[in-house]
Amino acid sequence: MPDMLKKRMITVLTFNDGVLFRTKDFCPDYRYTLSFVDAWSIDEIVILDVTRPGCGQKSNFYRIVSEFAERCFVPLAAGGGVRSIDDFKTLLGLGADKVIVNTAAVERPEFISQAARLFGAQCVVLSIDAKKNERGSYEVFTDFASKPSGLTPQDWARTAQALGTGEVFLTSITRDGSLEGYDNELNKTVAAAVDIPVLICGGAGKWQDFVDGFNEGMAQAVCTTNIYHFTEASIKSAKNYLKNSGIDVRTG
Amino acid sequence: MIAILNYGLGNLRSVAGAVRKAGFEPVITSDPVILEQAEKLIIPGVGAFGDGMRNLRQLGLIDTLNRLVLEAGKPVLGICLGCQLMANDSVEFGHHQGLGWIDASVVKINAPGQRIPHVGWNNLSQLKQNLLFEGIPQDELFYYVHSFCIQCKNPDIVIGECEYGQRFSAAINAGSIYATQFHPEKSQRYGLKLLENFLTLA
Repeated sequence: MPDMLKKRMITVLTFNDGVLFRTKDFCPDYRYTLSFVDAWSIDEIVILDVTRPGCGQKSNFYRIVSEFAERCFVPLAAGGGVRSIDDFKTLLGLGADKVIVNTAAVERPEFISQAARLFGAQCVVLSIDAKKNERGSYEVFTDFASKPSGLTPQDWARTAQALGTGEVFLTSITRDGSLEGYDNELNKTVAAAVDIPVLICGGAGKWQDFVDGFNEGMAQAVCTTNIYHFTEASIKSAKNYLKNSGIDVRTG
Repeated sequence: MIAILNYGLGNLRSVAGAVRKAGFEPVITSDPVILEQAEKLIIPGVGAFGDGMRNLRQLGLIDTLNRLVLEAGKPVLGICLGCQLMANDSVEFGHHQGLGWIDASVVKINAPGQRIPHVGWNNLSQLKQNLLFEGIPQDELFYYVHSFCIQCKNPDIVIGECEYGQRFSAAINAGSIYATQFHPEKSQRYGLKLLENFLTLA
C-alpha cells in the first residue's frame, strides 16, 4: 500500500468587498481573472474577507463563498471577521467546509470550544498572525495584524488545540506578500507545539519555498496567496517540483 | 431526483452541487414524502455522532429511513458522518447507538505520532471490484477529514480501505447500501466520478 496522508498545497485568496485583493499592498489584483474550473490540481482553497469594518457589504463576500462552493469540488475554508456562532452557521450554510477564526478567538477563547462542540473540530481553523515584536520574540497580533496580544504563537496554538481547534493556519506578518520565503523558524516552533495539522502562509514565491516549508517549517500544508500560483499549470508545476524534492504530495 | 438528507449537519450545498455536476437533480430535504419519491438517497454529515443520531431522532426520520433503506431497498450513499451513523454504535463523546444498518463500530483513529484529525488527501485501497469504483484507478486519492473511523465486523462488505496509523474501512457496500468515509464531493475529478457511479446505478 502506498504512503499515507499526503502533504497539502493550498491556495489563499483575499477579498476586499468582494474584489480579489493583493495582501501586501492592499489593492485590487487585476493581474488574473479567477477561473473556477482551472483548479483541479489544488488540494484546498481558503478565501478570506479582508474588508475593513464599515468599508463594504458582507453580502459581497458571501456571494464569493457561494460561487466557490458551487464550482469547486475541493475543500473550502472561509474566514475574515468571523465573530459569532451565527457567522459560522452562515459560512457553513453557504458551502464552506471549514471556518477560520482569528481576533474573536483571542478575545473570547471559549468561542473556539463553542464552535467545535456545535460543528465539529474539523470545521474550526484557528488563524494566527505572528511576527517578532520589539523585544525580538514572536508574538500573536490581532485586528488585521495590528494589535499585539501578549501571546506567543506556540502557547496560543496549544491553548486553541485544547479548546477544540481542528487545524492552525499560521501567517508570518513580515513575510506576507514578500516572496522571500516562509518564516520557518516561526513555523516549526508552532508545529512542534501542537498535535493538530499546521498550515503555513506568508512569503511563498518560488517552488523551493514550498519544499522548505515542509522540511524546515514542519508544516502539514503550505499556503500561497500569490495569484500566479493559482492556475492549473502553476499548481502542477509546483507539485512536480515538490514530488521531485521528495515531498509526498497529490499529483496527477 | 436524488434526495440529500438534511438533518442539520453537513455541507449539503457541496453535495448538491456535485450531484448537479454529475447530471442529476438534487433535492435537500427532511420530508419523508420526498425521501420516498427519490430514486436514491444521500446521507452526508460533518459533526459528532451523538448529535447526528439525536437530530435524526428529533426529526422523526429513523423509522422512515429504516423502511426506505432496509425494507424497500432504496439505494443510499452515506458520506463521512453519514457513513458512520450506519454503524451499530460509536464512542464519540460517550457511547451512542447508530442506525445499525452495517455491522460495525465507530472508534477513535489510532495513529500514534500522527496528527488528529486525519485531514487531507489519502489513498483509497480498493479491496474488491465494485460499480462504485468504475473508472477509478487503484489507490486513488480522496479527501478525508475525521477523528473517528469505522471498523466493520464483516470483511465482505468492506470494499475499500485507507491507512492512517491503522487501516480502517473507507468504502462499504452491503446490498443497496453504500458508504464512504471520505468526501467524494470534495475529491475533485475522481470524487465526482465515484458519485456519478453511485447515481447511475440501476
